[in-house]
Amino acid sequence: MIEVNNLTKIYGKKSPTFKALDDVTLKIEDKSTVSIIGKSGSGKSTLMHIMSGLDEPSSGTVLIDGVDIFKMKEKKIDAFRASEMSFVFQSFFVEGNATCYQNVLLPLEIAKVGITKRKKMVMEALKAVDLEDKVSAKASTLSGGQKQRLAVARAIVNKPAIIFADEPTGNLDSINGDKIMDLLFGLNKSLGCTLIIVTHDPDIAKQTSMRVSIKDGRIENIEKGRK
Amino acid sequence: MSFIDIVKRSLRNLLTSKARTILTALAIAVGTFALTLTLGASNGAKEYANNIVRSNFDPTELIVSKDPNLFSRQDATKPQVYNPSFGSISTFGGETRQVQYLNTADIAKIATTKGVSSVQPAITVSLQYVTRDGQKKYIGTLAPYNSYQKPELLAGSIPEKIQDNTLILPQGFLSALGFSSAKSAIGQNIRLSVQNQTSLNSITTNPLAALNSNDNKSQESVFKVIAVSATSSTSISAATSLYLYTNINQVESLNNYIYSGTSSYQKYLTAYAKVTDGTNLTKLNTAQSLIKGEGYSVQSVVDTEKLITQFISVIEGIVTLFGLIAIIASLFGVVNTMYISVLQRTREIGLMKALGMHRKDISRLFKIEAGLIGLLGGIIGSALAVGIGTALNPAISNKLSLGNSKLLIFKASQILILIVVLALIAIFAGLLPARKAAKLDPIEALRTE
Repeated sequence: MIEVNNLTKIYGKKSPTFKALDDVTLKIEDKSTVSIIGKSGSGKSTLMHIMSGLDEPSSGTVLIDGVDIFKMKEKKIDAFRASEMSFVFQSFFVEGNATCYQNVLLPLEIAKVGITKRKKMVMEALKAVDLEDKVSAKASTLSGGQKQRLAVARAIVNKPAIIFADEPTGNLDSINGDKIMDLLFGLNKSLGCTLIIVTHDPDIAKQTSMRVSIKDGRIENIEKGRK
Repeated sequence: MSFIDIVKRSLRNLLTSKARTILTALAIAVGTFALTLTLGASNGAKEYANNIVRSNFDPTELIVSKDPNLFSRQDATKPQVYNPSFGSISTFGGETRQVQYLNTADIAKIATTKGVSSVQPAITVSLQYVTRDGQKKYIGTLAPYNSYQKPELLAGSIPEKIQDNTLILPQGFLSALGFSSAKSAIGQNIRLSVQNQTSLNSITTNPLAALNSNDNKSQESVFKVIAVSATSSTSISAATSLYLYTNINQVESLNNYIYSGTSSYQKYLTAYAKVTDGTNLTKLNTAQSLIKGEGYSVQSVVDTEKLITQFISVIEGIVTLFGLIAIIASLFGVVNTMYISVLQRTREIGLMKALGMHRKDISRLFKIEAGLIGLLGGIIGSALAVGIGTALNPAISNKLSLGNSKLLIFKASQILILIVVLALIAIFAGLLPARKAAKLDPIEALRTE
C-alpha cells in the first residue's frame, strides 16, 4: 500500500515561491489502478515524482508498505526503485541505437539481476507486449506504438510492484493509445502490480479503479470504482 | 549496475558515436605515437651506449685517476693550484687542461687496496708507423687487449693470453697492408715502429742537430697477426676501430720506450683497477670507496654508463615533454567530447536514474567511457609507432651505422604502462563531465527536449 500523508511541495527558496502540492493525502491499495488527473501545472506529475522517490517533498511523508521512503538513504531509494518500481513515459525514452533486447535489459542491469536469468526475463517481457519478433531490431526502426510497447516491456521486465505511467498515450494515435492502455490494464491483472497513471484523458481515467483529481496542487476529488 | 555491465554500456555508447570517438582517440594517438617512438629511441640509444661501454670496458674494473676533476666538470674560470705531477691533455673542445698524473707509486698503492686484484695503467701507444714489406707506412695506435672485449673476428683466434710479438689486426688495415682477405693475413708479419719523445723534442728545440744526428731513437718490432677483428659499430670512436691490440706488457714496454727520458715517463692519466669478484656490485662499490678514500677519483663502468645515459635521458626528457604537451592538449578533446556526450544523453541519464541507477554508477559510466577513449588512443598511437618504427628500423639503423644495434627498441611492458597511464589520465579528464552527469536532476533530465 502507498500512503501519502500531508504532502507539500514548494519550489523556490526565496519569494515568490510556487506551491506545486498543498497538503495532499491519499492511500493507494496494492494491485489497484489509479489515475491522477488534472490540467497542466496542476501538480499531478509532481505527485507522481514524489511518490516514486524521484523528487523530495517540502513536507509530508510517503509510506510504501509502511516504510517512509524519504527516510531511506539515497542508495537504498535507488535500489528500491530498481526492484519495486518502473516507469512508462509519454516520450517513450527508448535508446534508438540499441536493440529491443538491450532496451529491455536496462532495468535488469541496474537491479543487478543475475546474467543467467536475464535472457528469459527479457524474452517474457517482449512476448507480453507482442514484440518477441523484434528482439534484435534497433529501437529506432520501430513505430511510435511499438516504441511505447517496448517501453512497457522495459517497465515490466523486473516484475515491479508499482508501475508509474506518465501520459503513456500522449504521443500516440487513438488506436495505438487504446492498445497500450489495454496492455497496461492487462499487465496490472496478470502481474498483480499497482498501476498509477498520470493523464488528462478522461476516457483512460474512467478505466481505473481510483481517480484522483488535482487542481492547483490540492486534491479536488477522489473517486473509487470503475465508471 | 555491475562493472562489466557499465563497461559494456560504455563500449556501446562509444560505438554509437564512432566518428566522434575515433577523432578524439586520434588526438590522443598523436601524443602516444610521439611518446612510444621517444621511448623506443631512448631504449635503443641507451642500449647502444651500454653496448659501447660494455664492449670497451671491463665492468669488474674501476677507472682510477689522480685528478679529482677528470670525471667531473672543472671550473675553468678559476686558476688551479700547481702540482708537480701535472701533465696536459686536450679536451674534445680543443681546450688544453692541466691534470694530475698517476705514477708508479700510485699504481702500487692502488694495487694494495683491499679487494683490488691487479692495476694496469690505461695506455695506448701512438705508433710512428705500421707497415709490411713492400707496403706503404701508416700511422696507428697499439692498445692492450682486454679479454673482456671479445671482438667479432673475421679470421684467426685470440688465445687466453696473447703472446709477445703477436697482435690482433683491425679489418681497416687489411687492404692497406696488401692483404687480399682476413684469412690471408693470419700468420703474416707486420712491422710496428715507435719513436722516443726526446728525439721529437730535440727536433723542436734544435732541428739542425736532430737532422744531422744518426740516433733517431726509433724502434721497429715485428709482430705476427693472430686474428683479424671486424670493424665494430660499438667502437668508442672511428679511430678506436683501427686500434691494433697486443698484450699489456708489450704495450707498457713500448710506452716506456717512447717516454723514457721525458717528464711523462711512467705517468698515466688513468689506470684500471681490477676488483676481485667485481661482478658483485657490493664488492665493486666497496673497492671504489676504499680507493676514493686514498684520495683518487674513481669511476666504475656503471658510472660511465650513467654519464652517457644521463645525456640520453635529458634528450628523452625534452622529447617526452613535447609528447606530454600533445597528450594534455588532446585531453581537452576528451573533456569536450564527454561534455557533449552528457548533453546528448541527458534524457538517457534521467531514465537510468529513474530506473534506480545510482549516481556513482552514472559517474562511473562516463569515466569509463573517457578511459576507453584514452585506451583506444593509446593503442592506436603505440601500434602505429611500433608498426612504422619496426618497418623503418633496419633502414634507419643502417643509415646511422649502428651495426647489429637497433635505433628503436620497443618494450612491451613500457608500452603497456603507457597505455594504462593514458587511460587513467583520460579517466581524470572525464571526471568533470562524469560529475555533471551524476548530479543531473532526473526530473529535469527527463524533461529535456
